[in-house]
Amino acid sequence: MIAPGIKRGTAELAVLSVLEDGPLHGYEMARRIEEQTHGSLRFTLASLYPLLYRLEKRGWVRGAWETSNGGRRRRCYRLTPQGKKKLSPIRKEWDELFRALRRLTKVSHA
Amino acid sequence: MRDWEALVDARLAGLVLDPAARAEVIAELGAHLEDACDGLQRRGMTEEEAVQCTLSQVEDWQNLRRKIQTVRTKENIMNDRVRQLWLPGLVTLLLWMGLFVLIQIFDPNHWIVARKSVWSHIVPAAVIYIPLILSLPVLGAMGAYLSASAGGSRRAVICSTVFPVSPYLVVFIVAVPAALIADRNVILTPLLVGLFAWVIFPVVGLLAGGSLVQTFVSRRLDSRRIVGC
Repeated sequence: MIAPGIKRGTAELAVLSVLEDGPLHGYEMARRIEEQTHGSLRFTLASLYPLLYRLEKRGWVRGAWETSNGGRRRRCYRLTPQGKKKLSPIRKEWDELFRALRRLTKVSHA
Repeated sequence: MRDWEALVDARLAGLVLDPAARAEVIAELGAHLEDACDGLQRRGMTEEEAVQCTLSQVEDWQNLRRKIQTVRTKENIMNDRVRQLWLPGLVTLLLWMGLFVLIQIFDPNHWIVARKSVWSHIVPAAVIYIPLILSLPVLGAMGAYLSASAGGSRRAVICSTVFPVSPYLVVFIVAVPAALIADRNVILTPLLVGLFAWVIFPVVGLLAGGSLVQTFVSRRLDSRRIVGC
């Protein structure tokens, strides 16, 4: 598991990345992130929603209520054009950071 | 079947938002818990185990309430553009204007040049101008710091840094060409001197301070982001 301090820094990237594939509601977003990172990144309700509301306030994501086939109403989030624009520099920043850390600590891909 | 919305409503009792926004948050969080509980039961947990596990997602409801309250209210007061551009720019512009007024209040004419000479026009102007120019790196640094700290992009930080010059720039871009069109006998040399004195040199001074701070703040923010604060 990744330490909470490091996870906090990666949260925006994780959420924006998972929304890049299409709109998702909060629970599904958390589930996908956990699944795609093999459980290394886990979002609970307490960690996910303040972040989603912050991203929505910044205009990077937009939430809208939708009704599923089963009749359940869920608030689905999608990336806005502004959010799509932000994702690329954030990715680049993290990529640079990981490369720098690899050079510094000799940590390599498994 | 458990009423997750009622549970969230009770736990977030102190959440003060307008009724529609509050109802939306309660419904959304309730739906999340419902989905989480259903998911855990599908994975083989008993209902009781799933409920316990779902509730453990929030260790401190008061902390969650505070976070949601902050995000959904305080950030409304100023949007990003105001915090990253207009506020830093206007603060530095007002400070520069304030300094200009202060220097004029002390009126160097009375205590520097007592008698008429060649210097009687140059010295007072220099006494006003030099402190103003020397203050610019500090003001530029302040504008850059306020903008960068608010998460401003590189462009927003630069615009905030050079903002105090904007009124003079507008004069040279709009008023001077208009004056030249209206009166073709306008002498260009003083205008050029004015352009350098009130636009070019101040921009250099502001950027000198601003770029230093921008470098410093961006390094600090990067390191803070690395440790996840």
